[in-house]
Amino acid sequence: MIEPPDRARFRSDTVVFVGCLLLATGMMFVPPARTERVASGIRNSVLLPIVWLQQRAAEAKTSRARLTLIQAQRDSIALLAQTMPALREENDRLRQLLELGQRTPLDFVPAEILHQVSPTDGLTLLLSVGTADGVEAFQPVVSPEGLLGVVSTADRHTSIVTTWAHPEFRASALTEGGGVFGIVAPAAETSALLELRGVPYRDTIPAGTLVLTSGLGGVYPKGIPVGRVMGVVRELSGWERTYQVRPAANPAQAAHALVLKSPAGSSMEEAFPAEGSQEP
Amino acid sequence: MTEPSRSKLALVLLLLLVMQFYVRPRMWDADVAPDFVMLALMVFAMRARPGAAAAAGFLTGLMMDSLGPGRFGAAALANTMVGYMASYGRAVFFADNLLVHAGFIGVGVWVRDVVVLLASGAAGQSLLWQLLVWSPLQGLTTAIAGMVLLVVFRDWLAIRLDA
Repeated sequence: MIEPPDRARFRSDTVVFVGCLLLATGMMFVPPARTERVASGIRNSVLLPIVWLQQRAAEAKTSRARLTLIQAQRDSIALLAQTMPALREENDRLRQLLELGQRTPLDFVPAEILHQVSPTDGLTLLLSVGTADGVEAFQPVVSPEGLLGVVSTADRHTSIVTTWAHPEFRASALTEGGGVFGIVAPAAETSALLELRGVPYRDTIPAGTLVLTSGLGGVYPKGIPVGRVMGVVRELSGWERTYQVRPAANPAQAAHALVLKSPAGSSMEEAFPAEGSQEP
Repeated sequence: MTEPSRSKLALVLLLLLVMQFYVRPRMWDADVAPDFVMLALMVFAMRARPGAAAAAGFLTGLMMDSLGPGRFGAAALANTMVGYMASYGRAVFFADNLLVHAGFIGVGVWVRDVVVLLASGAAGQSLLWQLLVWSPLQGLTTAIAGMVLLVVFRDWLAIRLDA
């Protein structure tokens, strides 16, 4: 019996629909390392003209709309820079007195943030720079206001940043003045705030205190502003407190970022030799 | 679909792609700006069979997943569903009315956001805030952009619009 053409077409439409649904659902359960390779391949081939187009648009927007702001920032920095030689000299002298080594200079790569339309934009960001510009995974990403996140993967011309709003983000932090240490993580209830977890019960942090990266862990250098303390959000009786922190930088609003490059010779691989390579 | 009307549709879709990746980043706030890729998908779905609309949804979703991976596959899943339902729904339910088309586009954006957010594991206040404030606003701006597009290109898209 021959089927009417409409029914046959309806069936083929349904087959295509179900096939696409299964493929999309399957992709969600593939390990992120593999899907990132696929995404990187697509970005560097089919989507290369689109990334290029968006990069030009972001540059044009930055150069046009933010010119006044950048001029104001440049003037403030120029004023600040006038006091720098004296401070540097004083710092070097004090370091010599304390027998400390020279401070490691930070190098950086400026990047445009290519925002996407997805509702999850802000948890991860696409940057306009990649390995060709010296960007590598685990390099910190900052804006003039403070910490944005860390590079999770980098391909030749673009890189993906895991921002502080991402559920998997963690950073070691301390309060201004170096008094209290804790771990910064996104707030459980809302992705717009952060939490400073693991603060010893004996320590109290007043609202408004600035939270900075501690430099522990080898990913984020010490002193990048993370946010300001708003208040206690919960307590584990007699053991530790968790504070709510208002983030210094907003990934969803940022247009321009700096990727901080690891200083040469700062690799920690030598501290953890592979098994079998150790001398007896 | 005839050959000339296919090329006109392709031109409109290309224009929307340029709007999304060149004009949109220069002009609007990202949270509420019209989503021209979604608009392109809805316009295509209005003209195509459900199977082709689902495949187009899958490809546009894959593109969005590659550009900003929250959870890879979430946008592909959402756009496949929206593309199929838009094409099927238009053939079965919807009248040729400009406001109905606009509402149709707005709801498509909102449904896409619901599926992407749930598939990405979003929860709590941020999920509610996104679904009740930002997504409806983006649906509204996309619907308005869709109305302008349909009025300007109504002959090219061969879509009948009763007042």
